[in-house]
Amino acid sequence: MRRVRISLLAALTLLVLAIVLTLAQSPMSVAFSNKVADQEATVASTTHDATYCQADELLPVHTSAIRIWLDAAAGPHVDVVVFSGGRAITNGSRGSNWTGGSVTVPVKPLSRAVNGVTVCVSFHLRDETVLTQGSMTPAAFAAREGRRALAGRMWIEYLRPGSRSWASLVPEIVRHMSFGHAVAGTWIVYAILVLLIATTAVAANVILTELR
Amino acid sequence: MSPKKIVRRIPRAAWLCALVACLNAVCWSLLTPPFQATDEPDHFAYVKQLAETGSLPTSNSEQLSTEEEDVLIGLHNFQVRQQPQTRTIASQSEQGELQGVLAAVADLPKTGSPAAGLATLQPPLYYAIEAVPYALASAGSVLDRLQLMRLTSALFAGLTALFVFLFVREALPGEPWAWAVGGLAVALAPLLGFMSGAVNPDSLLFAVSAALFWALARAFRRGLSTLDATMVGGLMIVGFLTKVNFVGLVPGALLGLVISSVRAARISGRSAYRLLALAVGIAFSPVALYAGVNVLSGRRHPLGVVSLALNTAHASILSQLNYIWQLYLPRLPGMVNDFPGLFTTRQLWFNGYVGLYGWLDTPFPGWVDNVALIPAGAIALLCGRALFRERAVLASRAGELVVYAAMAIGLLVLVGADSFRAFPATDAEFAQARYLLPLLALFGAVLALAARGAGRRWGPVVGGVIVVLFLAHDVFSQLQVVARYYG
Repeated sequence: MRRVRISLLAALTLLVLAIVLTLAQSPMSVAFSNKVADQEATVASTTHDATYCQADELLPVHTSAIRIWLDAAAGPHVDVVVFSGGRAITNGSRGSNWTGGSVTVPVKPLSRAVNGVTVCVSFHLRDETVLTQGSMTPAAFAAREGRRALAGRMWIEYLRPGSRSWASLVPEIVRHMSFGHAVAGTWIVYAILVLLIATTAVAANVILTELR
Repeated sequence: MSPKKIVRRIPRAAWLCALVACLNAVCWSLLTPPFQATDEPDHFAYVKQLAETGSLPTSNSEQLSTEEEDVLIGLHNFQVRQQPQTRTIASQSEQGELQGVLAAVADLPKTGSPAAGLATLQPPLYYAIEAVPYALASAGSVLDRLQLMRLTSALFAGLTALFVFLFVREALPGEPWAWAVGGLAVALAPLLGFMSGAVNPDSLLFAVSAALFWALARAFRRGLSTLDATMVGGLMIVGFLTKVNFVGLVPGALLGLVISSVRAARISGRSAYRLLALAVGIAFSPVALYAGVNVLSGRRHPLGVVSLALNTAHASILSQLNYIWQLYLPRLPGMVNDFPGLFTTRQLWFNGYVGLYGWLDTPFPGWVDNVALIPAGAIALLCGRALFRERAVLASRAGELVVYAAMAIGLLVLVGADSFRAFPATDAEFAQARYLLPLLALFGAVLALAARGAGRRWGPVVGGVIVVLFLAHDVFSQLQVVARYYG
């Protein structure tokens, strides 16, 4: 019984510590984007393996993820490589089974911004359809698949950790959570907290009384 | 034993596990923005049609009612779902616009929603139950009705955890302390909380599936009685009327009835087969009735609209089996590769279980899936150790284990066959971990065994750690959802 009590206390302490550490982290924020909200167009559509490269991009300092506007029901494995002067300066990959209108690929951050880079995105497909969203442009400025120009430029966003921690964003998040529910108001956050504490308390009670 | 006696003998810990599951699902119901759970708009439309017109939806088009469509627009639902970079409404002015929409649609005539998208193909029981909270909140807004319906779903999470506890108690009676490990861990499973905190017939399906496992385990442990046969038959009725996926458990459950009645016949003679007939008769009576009505009303298929969900596949049995195998397991030599570059067991199912919420658009960062392999591996090792230590008992219960395996395989094959219908246009349409949650009872037993695998001395400690691990998974899943929608 004593062992169970000590281990439960230790495990719950670790959980609280993990939450505190998470709240001390900063969420990703968009450092640079070429997205133009009202110009969305499908610049490519494929059901087979493809590599699209887009020149004249800006890689902001400390970029740790690149979001590309690929649209798929169950997305394939995606590789991203960023080239500067013909040399790969960073890369990353994202496993398959992502879904929706964009895929975020973590990449190794650089300590400097690099202008004029080429971003190449590759994926392996068989039959499933992947659409690439972006803005229509003349062929000279468009992204390319080999020598072929796509119908425009892919939308790309460069993400890096923001300057504020999750903890400092809590008031904004609480306010945000008060909108769009059956009964508007910040009560919902307190209700969730109470439920979470009650759930933990009942579960701990069962552990202490049953696991002997 | 009478049903009353069974209820009175349910241990306090089982009720507390049910309470934990309910509280957790209620938490998820408040956390998940309205209509941001998979297919929730379609399920809401089905209930609306049933509650307002008393009839079933007739079209699987996505053209929902004006009332619902307007509210979805007011919530920016179409911009947010499957667009993980887009948050839900975040300002007083957007909230004001939403309130305006809610007020405007309140005056629309209540004429149901003949179209209910994907939900149209499903049987009506869950929706009929949800019609009650819908009607109770009919004076309120669409969001009030949705929230009350979500709270009703949360009750099914409680039932699921209760029956998982009871199943573990029947299946693994040796160490009573371990029952709570299975019950509590399942109660805290975030995917159960998320699905049961939304309007979705899966919540009832999980509960009835867990109950079926429990009833069969009872029949194996105590011998098939009239009560058990009636319960299994009755639960199969509820399952048939809840969701088409339940069909996957049926062959295994029938095998369970046959084996337990053969065993009972050794003691009580041929009368045991009457119990088998009783259970099967009860179970299939609604199917026969439904088919009869369809035949008499001149429909082309005896299963009516449900037949759309049971369409036969477009290729040979061999390619279908090949696909189904690879959907879950690594490809064997000689098989055509249906999932190039994809380790389905890991990427579709394991990662999908670790975390994929909302409209399957809210995952954890990739490193979390990797870290999750450590506790999963430890649980698998401990469970294996417990099974090895008790291998003599396993051999004596081979028939029962075959039944549980048949139920699991039946479900996997059903989900695989359904996914194959959309293949190759979509690789794995139904490769969603939630479709495996009807097997939560077995999952609970695996977790209880894992705790027992640590031995009598350390087992309770490991059991407690497993439960806290599930609690942590749940809390971080909720934080991930908060970050995605409100961050």
